[in-house]
Amino acid sequence: MPTSASASASASSTTATGPNSDLLIRLNSPDSQVQLKALRELKNRIIGNRTKKLSFVKLGLVPAVAAILASKAQAHSHSDHDCNLLVQSAAALGSFACGFDAGVRAVLDAGACPNLLLLLSHPDDKVVDAGARSLRMIYQSNLAPKCDFLQDKNMEFLLSLLNSENENVTGLGASIVIHSCETITEKKALCHAGVLKKLVSLLQGSPSQRDNSLESLATIMKDNDEAVSEFVGCESGRALSSVIELTKDRHLRTRFLASRCLIAIRNTSSCYLQDMGIKTKLVHLLLELHDDPGQVGDEAPFAFSSLISQKVDLQKIALEANAIDKLYNHLQKNHLHPKRFQGLLLALADLCSKLESCRSRFLSLQALNLVSEALTHDSSDVRTAACICLRCVSRSIKNLCAGNFMNEMIVPPLVRLLDDPSISVQVAALSAVGNIVVDFTTHRSLFLQCGGVKQLVQLSRSMDSTLRLNALWALRNLMCLADYICKQGIFMELTASSLASLICDPEPFVQEQALALIRNLVDGCMNSVELVFAEDGIILDAVGRQLQSASRDEIWIQGLYVLSNVASGNEVHKEAVMHQLVPQADNGAQSLILKFLQSNESQLRIAAVWTIVNLTFPSTPNAFSRFVKLHNAGIVSQVKSMASDPCLDVKLRVKSALGQFKTFSDGST
Amino acid sequence: MPVRAAETSAPPQHHSGSNCGHTSPPPFTLLSVGQGFSGTQNVSSLQKEEAWRVNVRIQGCDLENGYLCGTMEALNVPMADTPVVTFWEGEIVDTKNYTFFTEKWEATHDDDIRHWTKFPSFSALLSRVEVDGGKSLDLSNYKYIFMRWKEQYFVNVGTDCGLTIAGFYYVCFSCSDGSINGFYYDPNSSPFQKLELKSTNEGRLGFSFSSYELR
Repeated sequence: MPTSASASASASSTTATGPNSDLLIRLNSPDSQVQLKALRELKNRIIGNRTKKLSFVKLGLVPAVAAILASKAQAHSHSDHDCNLLVQSAAALGSFACGFDAGVRAVLDAGACPNLLLLLSHPDDKVVDAGARSLRMIYQSNLAPKCDFLQDKNMEFLLSLLNSENENVTGLGASIVIHSCETITEKKALCHAGVLKKLVSLLQGSPSQRDNSLESLATIMKDNDEAVSEFVGCESGRALSSVIELTKDRHLRTRFLASRCLIAIRNTSSCYLQDMGIKTKLVHLLLELHDDPGQVGDEAPFAFSSLISQKVDLQKIALEANAIDKLYNHLQKNHLHPKRFQGLLLALADLCSKLESCRSRFLSLQALNLVSEALTHDSSDVRTAACICLRCVSRSIKNLCAGNFMNEMIVPPLVRLLDDPSISVQVAALSAVGNIVVDFTTHRSLFLQCGGVKQLVQLSRSMDSTLRLNALWALRNLMCLADYICKQGIFMELTASSLASLICDPEPFVQEQALALIRNLVDGCMNSVELVFAEDGIILDAVGRQLQSASRDEIWIQGLYVLSNVASGNEVHKEAVMHQLVPQADNGAQSLILKFLQSNESQLRIAAVWTIVNLTFPSTPNAFSRFVKLHNAGIVSQVKSMASDPCLDVKLRVKSALGQFKTFSDGST
Repeated sequence: MPVRAAETSAPPQHHSGSNCGHTSPPPFTLLSVGQGFSGTQNVSSLQKEEAWRVNVRIQGCDLENGYLCGTMEALNVPMADTPVVTFWEGEIVDTKNYTFFTEKWEATHDDDIRHWTKFPSFSALLSRVEVDGGKSLDLSNYKYIFMRWKEQYFVNVGTDCGLTIAGFYYVCFSCSDGSINGFYYDPNSSPFQKLELKSTNEGRLGFSFSSYELR
């Protein structure tokens, strides 16, 4: 008897491994009644219980459930009993997948998706519902396969879902759009196929259809101005009005999704939703949604960030709406979910990214204490967000000069993050360090004491070009207006040969920062100029080579300022610059400096003119001989031709240079 | 004075409309980060002639927002044992972020005009400034940059040092030679204390430039 066999198996397995493996045996039972009962029991036991889900996944229950689904879905039997088995197996799989990536993985690995899709065309509505619900759970995870909308059959399938009378099926269609639609080509294809219009019609549907529609619309319209235009014009603007109206809906999630939809429209096409009323309303709504203890509250800071990011007008409105105080109050709560913690830090970062008034408010609340604590959080996302927040708040020369960041609370934990196992944390920490080391007081010694320079130098040699770039950026800022002792310390750590290789790094942005660093190195007291003559002038030669071979203005500007600063040194220094810029023998080659003086980029012309001013600086013994060389290379006449340069700074510096030239002409005649 | 009559005689262009054409002054290398200036501030009163040596260094410059900041070091201050360093912030009169009218710090329009007119380079602008603070002027190609510098805090001494930073400076920077002239305004201090600074190159045989970039 199947029943007694099952019972005995159950008894023995209970003794061996507990009741869980009994479930596996019953799911594999040849008696479909036993299977049905086991499915129901399984479903009830895993609902909302991640621990149970995980233990059942490990026990291999998912393939057993998928096998029941497969056998019944492919049998095309429509008996009540089989329908029940389909409903229960689909529901159990959906439960495994709901909000649990390991469950989704197991369901996908068991090959359940094609069979769940078969259920959508089943004549029994309950089966269709169960299949659609289960697939929706899967499509809410990033692990779900992407649907390629550019294939006609997939687009037809999607439209068939969205055109369904069944609410769960249309919901599935929306979930597939939200999950799979990424590129602008896909978004446009969806619009052309009429998906946007269909979604607009679903705004009038049930609460769940409305929410699905709002989220899908936001996905399709993000960065897609064609879709935004189509949407705004839809039903003579009634679609837009209804979304605006939905920001007042009684359901929290609907209000949230409507606001996200409006943000997508605003961020994509700056010509819509610009009136003060709607901007203020969105700011207040999103701040209010932060109060929700659930998913909406977790997601609200991210939506708020996307609303205010890079927009000074909205940041002002947010400041007036007390946003900094409100976000800070949320941040103060204990046991924040890491996602919410991350979101709040990023929202504060965006708020403080441009306006000094926001930064002042942030600092006055002592919010830095919380950011400092977040630097040591277990979650790497939170640590990254804390660094980004610190970077934005410290983007203020006023506060940097006041020494608000170079202190024991911030610097030691930040320096430790330079060694974080996560590269994204390291990059974010470097960007914060890059700002914080701009300190013109003696406080910068704290950074050195914490081993910051050693770390930066090590990262400047990383295989990862982003790390190299950011490390050099920080070292460049640290070097700016530093005293000789500090400069020498950094230089010894870096070494001349490694600086020379960084000037020739394969990445142009790294080259630029390396040159900017050396420019700062040779500024200030005269002794610092000597540093670039170490190791037989390997650095200066590399600068010269880079000026010859580079093809970007930014690199030329920094390289030329290195030479210009060196040229403000003594005779030996000036001659070394002449050697780099003006060919010794007349081999017909155009001198480098001539090329820069003729550049269309005024910043390059000004750097070039300063170099000439420094090379011909009066009362230096060999100034006249350099003037003659410059004259012979056609440089003096080039400078003379620039007396009416369109850039005022260039024009005035040319005037200075011509004044100096005149002293030589007077002396020589 | 380093100001040349020829340079002040050419009036700056006017905007074609009130809402357009406001452009930031171009970056001037002599007014960039790290540049140093030295000179004196005349603090004479009726009782005695007195001038303090002053060094200034630019530490931050954000032309887009009309912002400049730096430190000011007064060297032979009688009541202080050490040089007194203050941190100041500057408003650049670019007619976009700031006009010639101060609208704060106890300065009336009359005070503004009285101080600005002390600069010869201002005379070409006077008539338009009187109308609206100079809102309609385009100063982006003018050879002088007008600013207000307001000291914010003492860097190396306490507030009990017996000195005040209650007032602010009306400042004029000459783009031609990098000289700076200013007048200190504080209703409670001697009027028109003159600040005279020249660009320095700190022992170098030429000019040298640093840069940093905040992100």
